[in-house]
Amino acid sequence: MPDSRKGGEIRQVSRGVTTPDVDTAMPDPEIQQRQKAMELSAIGKRQPRLDGPEKVSGRSLFTDDVQLPGMLYGKILRSRHAHAKILKIDASKALALPGVKAFITGDDSEKVFANQYEPAISKGVTHYIGEEIAAIAAIDEVTAEQAIELIDVEYEPLPAVTDLRKALRPSAPRINPYHDGNVASHNIDNYGDPDQAFEEADLIFEDKLATHPTHNLYSEFHVVLVDWSFPDKLTMYTPTQSGYLFQKKLSEAFGLTDSQIRIVHLNTGGAFTGRGLLRPHHYIAALLSRKTRRPVKIFSAGDEEFLTCRAGGDNDYVVRTAITNDGVIKGFEIEGIMDCGAHAAGLSYLSAMAGNYQARLFKIKGLRFNRKCVITNQRPNFFHHGGMMTGLNAAIMQQLNRAAQQIGQDPIDMFLANAAEQGFTDIVGGTFASCGLKECLEKVRDRSGWKNKYGKLPPYHGIGVAIGSMASGVKGAFKHDTSAAMVKVAEDGIVTLYTGIPDMGQGTHTTMAIITAEVLGCDAEDIRLVAGDTETTPLDVGAFTQRGTFTTGNAVRIAATDARDQIAKVAAERLGVTPDQLVFRDRKIMVNSDRNRNMGFGEAAYACLHSREGRFVMGNGFYNSPLKYGTLAWSFGAQVAEVTVDPETGEVQLTRITVAHDLGRAINPLAVEGQIDGQIFSGMSQTLYEECETDNGQFLNPSRLEYKMPRTYEMPQVEYIIVESVDPYGPFGAKEVGEGPIVVTVGAIAAAVSNAVGAFMPEIPMSPWRVLRVIHQNGDGSGSD
Amino acid sequence: MLLPQHNYLQPASLNECLMALQDAGEFGQIVAGGTDVIFNMRLKLFRPKTVVSIRRLTELMQVEELPDGSLRIGAACRLTDLAENPIINDRFPAFSESIRSVASTHIRNMATLGGNICLQTRCWFTNNSQQWRQGKESCFKTDGDICHVIKSSEKKCHAINNSDTPVALIALNAELTIQKSGAKRVLPIADFFNDDGIEFMKLCPDELVTHVTIPPCNDRLIFSKYAARKGIDFSIGSIAARCNGEGEQTDKVSLILGSLSTAPIKLTKAAEIIQTKGLTDGAIEQAADTVRGDLGEVTNLYSRAVYKKQIARVLVKRTLTHLKNM
Amino acid sequence: MAKQQISLTVNGDLYELLVSDQQTLLDIIRTEIGLTGTKRGCTTGACGVCTVHNADGEAVLSCLTHALEWDQESITTIEGLESDGELDAIQKAFVEYHALQCGFCTPGVVMSAKAVINKYPEPTEEQINAGMAGVLCRCTGHIKVKEAIRNTHKIRARDGVKGA
Repeated sequence: MPDSRKGGEIRQVSRGVTTPDVDTAMPDPEIQQRQKAMELSAIGKRQPRLDGPEKVSGRSLFTDDVQLPGMLYGKILRSRHAHAKILKIDASKALALPGVKAFITGDDSEKVFANQYEPAISKGVTHYIGEEIAAIAAIDEVTAEQAIELIDVEYEPLPAVTDLRKALRPSAPRINPYHDGNVASHNIDNYGDPDQAFEEADLIFEDKLATHPTHNLYSEFHVVLVDWSFPDKLTMYTPTQSGYLFQKKLSEAFGLTDSQIRIVHLNTGGAFTGRGLLRPHHYIAALLSRKTRRPVKIFSAGDEEFLTCRAGGDNDYVVRTAITNDGVIKGFEIEGIMDCGAHAAGLSYLSAMAGNYQARLFKIKGLRFNRKCVITNQRPNFFHHGGMMTGLNAAIMQQLNRAAQQIGQDPIDMFLANAAEQGFTDIVGGTFASCGLKECLEKVRDRSGWKNKYGKLPPYHGIGVAIGSMASGVKGAFKHDTSAAMVKVAEDGIVTLYTGIPDMGQGTHTTMAIITAEVLGCDAEDIRLVAGDTETTPLDVGAFTQRGTFTTGNAVRIAATDARDQIAKVAAERLGVTPDQLVFRDRKIMVNSDRNRNMGFGEAAYACLHSREGRFVMGNGFYNSPLKYGTLAWSFGAQVAEVTVDPETGEVQLTRITVAHDLGRAINPLAVEGQIDGQIFSGMSQTLYEECETDNGQFLNPSRLEYKMPRTYEMPQVEYIIVESVDPYGPFGAKEVGEGPIVVTVGAIAAAVSNAVGAFMPEIPMSPWRVLRVIHQNGDGSGSD
Repeated sequence: MLLPQHNYLQPASLNECLMALQDAGEFGQIVAGGTDVIFNMRLKLFRPKTVVSIRRLTELMQVEELPDGSLRIGAACRLTDLAENPIINDRFPAFSESIRSVASTHIRNMATLGGNICLQTRCWFTNNSQQWRQGKESCFKTDGDICHVIKSSEKKCHAINNSDTPVALIALNAELTIQKSGAKRVLPIADFFNDDGIEFMKLCPDELVTHVTIPPCNDRLIFSKYAARKGIDFSIGSIAARCNGEGEQTDKVSLILGSLSTAPIKLTKAAEIIQTKGLTDGAIEQAADTVRGDLGEVTNLYSRAVYKKQIARVLVKRTLTHLKNM
Repeated sequence: MAKQQISLTVNGDLYELLVSDQQTLLDIIRTEIGLTGTKRGCTTGACGVCTVHNADGEAVLSCLTHALEWDQESITTIEGLESDGELDAIQKAFVEYHALQCGFCTPGVVMSAKAVINKYPEPTEEQINAGMAGVLCRCTGHIKVKEAIRNTHKIRARDGVKGA
């Protein structure tokens, strides 16, 4: 992925093909056939979560539930100004308060950066409302809070700019020293030949779409507990998507080795892409703990939660589609201006990903993405559930549905004629080793009753279709993208799986137990799991880029196979056959040709330890994609959304959504449905409800009441269709269902609303007042212009 | 999460409670369920020295039918109990609807009628934490000199009266019984609210709303609420519409809008049009068109003023149409 | 400020506690009694993770009420739903129907669901929606939560009712 970190300079990148270390993913019908023909027992069952009983009974521990002896409470003083010099911070009154144990400012953390350009505690100047400028540790939370109120800060306000377009004006104040003209990055990505694509088109459609700031709003608030009582060991309890990444970042910041950092991630109360990065409060808790030599907990209460999150910001897109009169989609051109907020962190990479993914859906000639990341005096932004793909898909899918209508084609027919398929090499240079996109489209068409509805609905009823694709793990952040796993088989036959991947709710731990069980011929319930602690689990890059099932799943499959091979050797001797003649099934090891010749799984494990060799069964495995970067496996999806719009209030009701997702293989169909549910909710919420409203850099609705997300009444009827293309590289053919569906959901709902109103919807969320504005300006509810 | 410092009292009788309020004076705060008061204490919107709970005042938890046909409801009745009360459901279904529309089941299981009537006014500035509020100048309600929601306002706080049940109760001509130590007064609820976000109700610090009395009503009556989501939210707008007669015929109309201003609004022009012309489609449209003018300055409470005016019009039109068909 | 003594029955056990004016019911459940299943969330009444039951089995928000209000009363927390070492039917339904994911909101959501079932053993869609609108669960989007509540009576019929 291109990523020019310097401001001002435009980097043009032309990439007709990738040049990976190894060959790109290629279809392998032989492996695919073998994977398809597998006789499976644990995989494919509707398996309840293994941690279910713990969680429904209140036994599961989360970070805020942990109390350590001598624990202190930290509280952060946050900037009141969007942009100001900090002239003086006087904490004398705060320090005089009984129970206050430590006070720190930017002076105590000069070299500590929460991210590349973001200081853990800002010194001398503050860049956005809510930025960390000092912190207190005290014996309890109320004392810490009182102490914060007693700190006097003298500011000298500086001109602030909170609008991304205004930030680009030559007269705009410079926000930080790293980026000239407030441009964090400006790239133009060319995939294939976009100019040729537009030349070959008969029609060009152009629309603008804006997205607004969001919050990932997971259930568990930001919280951290750090014990750095002794200088050579830092233990951090925190919700996270990656213990490994946190360990690496902290060791860099504090000059420790990775192994001196221990990350304990217990249960993580949801992530939705919002828990991948360390935030200033993590570092502040560490600094306070080092200073007091006592454990320090920081809980982000109320509105702080909205300042601590790094979700989506204001993004403006212009989208153009090049198409022929008979519906051949030739290419896309996208211009994007994206708000990084006050500190740039990875937005450029994310926008590159969004264009890259968009380039693969259709058999197009070319795609150009001109993308500019802008610095403003807003909360630093990263991204929300579904990444930048959601906003782009909202624009492109609306536009394609409308384009089809205009040239007199059924959008689904048009999508089918243009859609990517297995073996197709896209303009980025990737080849799809498996692809069920067309099957998804056909199935949502049939299940939703599309043919009886499209173009035949009453006024202000709408139907829309969208498609999308998602990588199952992306190599890019490091040279490796490794997940490792260990499988221990005790002499009583009890299997323990050690994995470093966090389960933030997506159900990965149960998925990994199922894979282990499948290899060893056990039930998922037979597998015990050790996870959530970097000290006791092998390395895992973490739960990013939908790599869990694919990458960690492959590692677990390899580790379990290693354990199985060790047992098989002994069992084969006992049964008088060679190991390759054995089948592991129903907690037995059987001779495949004569399954009555068998021995118990536990018996075999016992026999291993009590053999002459004295072998204790420990299977090891790791998996790292052989590609230099990018992904081996893509998931695909199609969805049809149906909405009604109240033309007087602008209220949109999503009545029904039909979801088809090609995830390779459903390891656990019950959990797959759960993943789809969450993404429908979140996708619907992003398209119709969620927004951080701002006023000069200050969030006006930083609460779970006023940051609107749908509740029970608003949820639609959901139809699930699982498409299993069986990928040759995935564990048992599995790809991903972690974020593929949400991108499609947003596109489908946007297209349906646009169909109901009869106009392009230029903003998400499509809040009632915005819908009403569009109705008054353009639409007549006839479903056409 | 601990609350700011204060003294908490839980008097066992009404007399004891009124004495406690008298002692506390202007530093006292009644907690009648707590769902709003505790919320605001956390925001440090007010810092009472004494908090007086009405939780033990069983004498204020009765629903009684009086000899004249009125219904007298104790102010400490929980909203959940009232929403399920068969007499209220039977005799005043619109009032029931207004109760059921308040917040969520969880909140209604704690909140009381008295608490809902005396609900603190709301605005996006004051309903944020103290640290958050320091990002802007203090407003009238927080001892400052401006109003953030209506910038041109010279003195008045424009926080919204966002309570649902008073809207229905005003249409029902309900009366409030207000007591203080040694004294009692009765006030129509229509006169209880002031057009001011700070002094939003006519209640002295030592006074307590003890009862709500609803006179018999045989008219057609509807309560309707529009909110961003069902089942939890404060209203963007709410309405109670009442009229006598049948079908299009009526000569007595009352229209009360809630959540659009510092106090519930009585729509006199719209009511007059219907009283004169009856509930015809034309008259309903005409009445709805007058609403904008009667609204005055509408604040941006998490929803644009322009949009709220449109919603007010829709509420009037839809409820009048509904009344016609009742 | 002097602390006052209260008697509070939690999950059938009587606790004599010294409580300050500043403590909410949530504070004492989590820190004094040490039952951490009840979670700290928004503390404004909008997320429902702190939900417990009053003596009548109704859902109330422990973050929005003084601990002192609950003197001489009885409450149930998530830890009190099991009987005879077996999960309650609503808890089983949540597990079997995959009505939980990350699990942070789950105790509050289960308590809210149980309150619905207490009132309406076979609830209608409207009763479920009304009873559950006060909780927030991004993971499940409430879809399988509603399914679990709809099907709890079947699990109760299958497994019988333990305890009580």
